Amino acid sequence: MFLVDVSILYFCNVSAIGYYVGMVGLSVGEKHFIQGGIAQDLRTDGRKRLTYRPIFVETGVIAQANGSARVKMGRTEVIVSVKAELGRPSSSAPDKGKVSIYIDCSPTAAPQFEGRGGEELSMELSAALRQCLLGGKSGAGAGINLSSLSIVDGKICWDLYIDGLVISMDGNILDALGAAIKAALSNTGIPKVNVASAAPSDEQPEVDVSDEEFLQFDTTAVPVIITLTKIGRHYIVDATSEEESQMSSAVSVSINRQGLICGLTKRGGTGLDPSVILDMISVAKHVSEQLMNKLDSEIAAAEAMEEES
Amino acid sequence: MEYVNPEGLRLDGRRPMEMRQLRAEIGAVSGADGSAMFEMGNTKVIAAVYGPREVQHRSQMVNDKALIRCEYTMANFSTGDRTRKPKGDRRSTEISLVIRQTMEACILTHLMPRSQIDIFVQVLQADGGTRSACINAATLALADAGIPMRDLVTSCSSGYLNSTPLLDLNYVEDSAGGPDVTVGILPKLDKVTLLQMDAKLPMDIFENVMQLATEGCKAVANYIREVLIQNTKQLEHRRGV
Repeated sequence: MFLVDVSILYFCNVSAIGYYVGMVGLSVGEKHFIQGGIAQDLRTDGRKRLTYRPIFVETGVIAQANGSARVKMGRTEVIVSVKAELGRPSSSAPDKGKVSIYIDCSPTAAPQFEGRGGEELSMELSAALRQCLLGGKSGAGAGINLSSLSIVDGKICWDLYIDGLVISMDGNILDALGAAIKAALSNTGIPKVNVASAAPSDEQPEVDVSDEEFLQFDTTAVPVIITLTKIGRHYIVDATSEEESQMSSAVSVSINRQGLICGLTKRGGTGLDPSVILDMISVAKHVSEQLMNKLDSEIAAAEAMEEES
Repeated sequence: MEYVNPEGLRLDGRRPMEMRQLRAEIGAVSGADGSAMFEMGNTKVIAAVYGPREVQHRSQMVNDKALIRCEYTMANFSTGDRTRKPKGDRRSTEISLVIRQTMEACILTHLMPRSQIDIFVQVLQADGGTRSACINAATLALADAGIPMRDLVTSCSSGYLNSTPLLDLNYVEDSAGGPDVTVGILPKLDKVTLLQMDAKLPMDIFENVMQLATEGCKAVANYIREVLIQNTKQLEHRRGV
């Protein structure tokens, strides 16, 4: 039995190179191997259940954006760019700026994203991220401080466009996008604006957007997203696409630095007992501290590298 | 507007016959059969190749050749103004068709009947010459995927502004309204597979401009060959040869 498992391990590693598991499918032996490994706290690539793959962050990858970042978690790779443009605040929230999040799944990640194939996944990811980062309808509880984007109440504000692109997919895209958005926002510089004073109340004031001075965006309140995937009776963090194909359900929790939950999504058809969900949330809280610290140090290193070059 | 100043320097400091800096990386997308990232100055594109694999739509299957499909998409943030529709617009459809026809001419499709090869090109940053960068990236990705080809396909663009032929236009020079000639060649076989031009040029000047673009293509081919040799050396090293 042991010998059979070892040979399947070899096969799994070889087949992972150049094969797209989603297309080929897993054999019964491979499925048992994945489930058995998780039950014994030893996953196919040697990780423990609550260990993340190596995270690699690079900032400033898109030259014409206000902020950008590229995050690699194992073989999952995403790029996020943040652009700020002047706009008009909405009448229901005149003292707040606007943020729009839009994710696109590139066909390079998987052939089924060709044409309109990736639309469903893109919309699902965009909606989940909006929910985690932008708070409720009144703007309360938002990870991004919308009031800091206002320039002149009721007349001019900053419109932030956060665009994400999934380049390569190997599971756990939501976490990677959350990390990339956090990194891109910490790389974002909002230009300083000088408002011409004494403008009549019903006209648009003149604004002078500085080319030189930039204000760094405050990202201390931006949450990270932890996705816990339930396979059998155990939860794992940072699932690969092989492991995701075996999941019964998954819960994505968005947690900020204070340990408060900013968003919660459950995916997968299998029902979960409420006590299991509470347990998953507490596990996610525990993992989030490590992820936050790792992410912050990676972002700081990336910014330092960007300044050097 | 002056695109070539009296000293003979262009807006970005290059000489008229100077190409932008090239940078290529093989294996940018780990899940694909073959992939590459190609940069020409500030233009950055990623190409991924999936195939040869089973044809997805039986009705499109060809009994004696491989089916080649291609899709060109631009990221939202690739241009200065945010584009709302990353794919499906007419320019993307046209460029997808152009890349497909160019690559189809050089892939030995008769060796892989009843199969399908998908080429996906994603533009991350657009600063002129995206078409050429995409073709160069696609060539590298196809080589990485091990798909048999007659020859490499390389592409470069050139134009004519302020009475000077210019090699490898960037976005500002491209939008100047002058002619823009894009050439794609098979360097070893010395054949032209792609030739596109917009605006108009007198015939004798056109010959010069096209010759310039062809020289640019040959320079790209040399670079691509070097990158492929480096990549093969690395693979050999990893295998312990």
